[in-house]
Amino acid sequence: MSEPQTHFRTDEGAVAQILDCDIAIVGAGPAGLAAGEAAAGTGARVILLDTFAAPGGQYSMQPTQGDSPFTDTPAVRLAREATARLAARGVQILTRAEVFHAAKRQDGSFRLAVSQQGAARVIRAGAVIAATGAMERPLPFPGWTLPGVIGAGAAQRLLKTGTGSLGPQGKTVLAGSGPFLFAVAQTFAKAGAPLDHLVEMRRPGVREALGLFLAHPSRLPEALRLMADLKASRARRHSGHMVTRALGTTCLEAVEIAPLGPDGQPGMAAARVLDGVGTLAIGYGFQPVVDLTTQLGADHGHDPALGGFYCQTGADGGTSLAGLYAAGETCGLGGANPARLSGRIAGLSAARGLGFAAAPDETAIKALRRARDFAARLAALWPAPQRLPLSLPPDELICRCEDVRVTDIRAAIQDGAREAMAVKLWTRAGMGPCQGRICGAGLSAVLEEAGVTAIAAGYNRAHLPLRPTPIGIVRAAMASGEWDI
Amino acid sequence: MQRQQVQPPGEAGVIILGGGVIGLSLALALAEAGLRPLLIEARSFGGAVTAGSLAGIGVHMHGMAEFHLMTEACRLWRDLAAKVGNPFEYNPQGQIGFILDQEGMESGEAWVAEESALGAPCRLLTPAQLREIEPGLTGPVLGATWAPDSATVNPFFAARTLLRLAREAGALAFEHCPAAALLSQGGRITGVRLANGQEIRADHTILAAGPWSQEIAAPAGVMVPLRPRQAQCLVGLRQPPGTIRHVVSAVERRGGVDAGYTQIQQSVNGQILFNTVITPVDSGAAGRDRINEVPASFVTSSIDMLVRLFPALADLVLLRSWVRFEAVSPDARFMAGRLAPEGLWICAGDNGSGYCRALMLGRYLAGEISGNSRAGLAPDLVAQARALYAPARFSQQAA
Repeated sequence: MSEPQTHFRTDEGAVAQILDCDIAIVGAGPAGLAAGEAAAGTGARVILLDTFAAPGGQYSMQPTQGDSPFTDTPAVRLAREATARLAARGVQILTRAEVFHAAKRQDGSFRLAVSQQGAARVIRAGAVIAATGAMERPLPFPGWTLPGVIGAGAAQRLLKTGTGSLGPQGKTVLAGSGPFLFAVAQTFAKAGAPLDHLVEMRRPGVREALGLFLAHPSRLPEALRLMADLKASRARRHSGHMVTRALGTTCLEAVEIAPLGPDGQPGMAAARVLDGVGTLAIGYGFQPVVDLTTQLGADHGHDPALGGFYCQTGADGGTSLAGLYAAGETCGLGGANPARLSGRIAGLSAARGLGFAAAPDETAIKALRRARDFAARLAALWPAPQRLPLSLPPDELICRCEDVRVTDIRAAIQDGAREAMAVKLWTRAGMGPCQGRICGAGLSAVLEEAGVTAIAAGYNRAHLPLRPTPIGIVRAAMASGEWDI
Repeated sequence: MQRQQVQPPGEAGVIILGGGVIGLSLALALAEAGLRPLLIEARSFGGAVTAGSLAGIGVHMHGMAEFHLMTEACRLWRDLAAKVGNPFEYNPQGQIGFILDQEGMESGEAWVAEESALGAPCRLLTPAQLREIEPGLTGPVLGATWAPDSATVNPFFAARTLLRLAREAGALAFEHCPAAALLSQGGRITGVRLANGQEIRADHTILAAGPWSQEIAAPAGVMVPLRPRQAQCLVGLRQPPGTIRHVVSAVERRGGVDAGYTQIQQSVNGQILFNTVITPVDSGAAGRDRINEVPASFVTSSIDMLVRLFPALADLVLLRSWVRFEAVSPDARFMAGRLAPEGLWICAGDNGSGYCRALMLGRYLAGEISGNSRAGLAPDLVAQARALYAPARFSQQAA
């Protein structure tokens, strides 16, 4: 046996900056900010990371212009003030920072590899809180890949940040299912952006709404505000309808909608076309972002009411992996209130786990139960569709990255691919740049259609890199010597 | 998790345990030989070791002892692709063995001399000749070996095609159907019991479960000397077609895979697959079932070698990585043939290059099990296969 190949160094200058902390919090939305305040309050050294340019997450997304109509909304102010308090406490906040690798060492500590604006960092942490939030759960429908069709969450982000504009020409249609649509409609109203149509699959009855607010009267004012803003937007409301097609040649021109029958299927005989549409913002709900927690090997459960696969946590926010905590949407969709509360609980628990004096906040634990109950009732009123809302033509694209069509996926299932991983291998769906983020829900829905439940279909555990990352940055982080168990 | 409409039957001609490329090739060959094979796979067909393969099809640098068998193995893949319209991206792109130092040059010269003496079309390239064949490879190489007949297949699509062809030829195959134990009677293996309790009887049972073969066999008192070895790969974002035109590998030292290796190639969808292993990770048996992350040193050496050879890829974006577990035998050759208890066979021990050999081994065992020489390899190859792959070369029977 001859000697091994030489170990070459292509770029010895590129070394990762090593950052030390007690608690690293991934995600600076409502959950991460609350976790940061709670943990820093105990004296723990905290690093808070976020992908975006400023803390806040989707809920408290910070505008990029000073004169934005969102500058002084309560949500935006909340994150701005929390960020200022964190900075004053010495919390290190890394923005535009993406965690692309994570590991737990045998000594119980964690390492996170981070790509931040062209530089590599490695974070040493005694504990990690995953507050990675949620991402849209796009369900395919005919025409869903036409330019002009965007996610409802993406539309809201554009309006809130003021960084982009929706299609200037044509009407705007907001469609999908769930109470989030009202929040987006409110954002349209606040941004002064016209909203022409709201197409919602389900409109709960008066009796249902009454039941909800009798159980949670404190939530009524917020709901009334949402309804008032929806009315102020003067959008035409099509309840019990769904979008059955996006129409157009090179980009979106019109949207076909149809009323849903008692069987939940659209009645195509009564379908009609909304003409002159420039933007269709469509959302069938969200799903927890669980790449960090699946990579680290924490246990996950599945519940459609929580958005699908979610990271399981105990009452203290701890996952099945000692030292790893999860908060907010990562542990199942619930909105900003459960996020803040679970963030606070996880922040205190993580600090206590490292020996800092931090008594459990029983009030927050109780309030979280209530907030979760409200979220569960909302989810029951607007169940997220698990199957494709309507049967797709065989040539409809499911995976845009790899050009995989419904018919390819159905054929793979027919041939014996009976889990998400197997369908991915046999069709390449999910192997492209988005790594299944855009097509994953559609793929699961086609599996559901064939009788494979989401639980049986399983999830693809994340591996290095959690996000596409330049190899120079990967190399710098991995060469740091921090990864040897 | 048994979800098929139809349960496996209680009896089969031959039971194949494991639905990777080896088990699927066996199913196809046995079905064509009329032996009524029943394949059972614990999870998804081709979802484990097979899915992590780079699926190289070639004789280059595989050693002289197997040269003729490997030639036949490659021919079978080429013929299959031609016969069924190539649904699995069979791509005879050729293979480059890059040479970085004088010792590598000696290895390369020796490989080329030996293989061309047996009729292989391989030759040595000067750096200038190499640049014509692989323009992006501008790193500091002294030269390269060139095997123009080496090919690749898409490992996922090839497995899917084999499954389809095997079923069309009469094989039964069930996924998510783990085996619990071998059944034995009077010292003879008579079938398997599935995890759901169902028993299936067969005259012949073949272990084709790669690194899992041992744990299926052990409770029946059969020791299979295979150890799992971790292998891994990195994948970069899609690049323009022709960024890497051929399979680019390090000239293999005489120490074999354990002396380190490099393989770099561009997949049909444009992604760049690359790996350089300097020291193989020896993982315990449990490693097969809990898929680890790629080791940090592997990541750095793979990136360094890629950028050293292809400097223009320095800004490549890493998209994913994977780890798989190969089954390695003590002499790094397959175990293919009878085990000691009557009725039990094995076809495992891929040593990291099972894909190329799969169809050939399927044929070989179909001939051995059926006793029908027309179902198997040509007589001279059968003799070579028996000499090389006989499991009896290791003592596999427990006390």
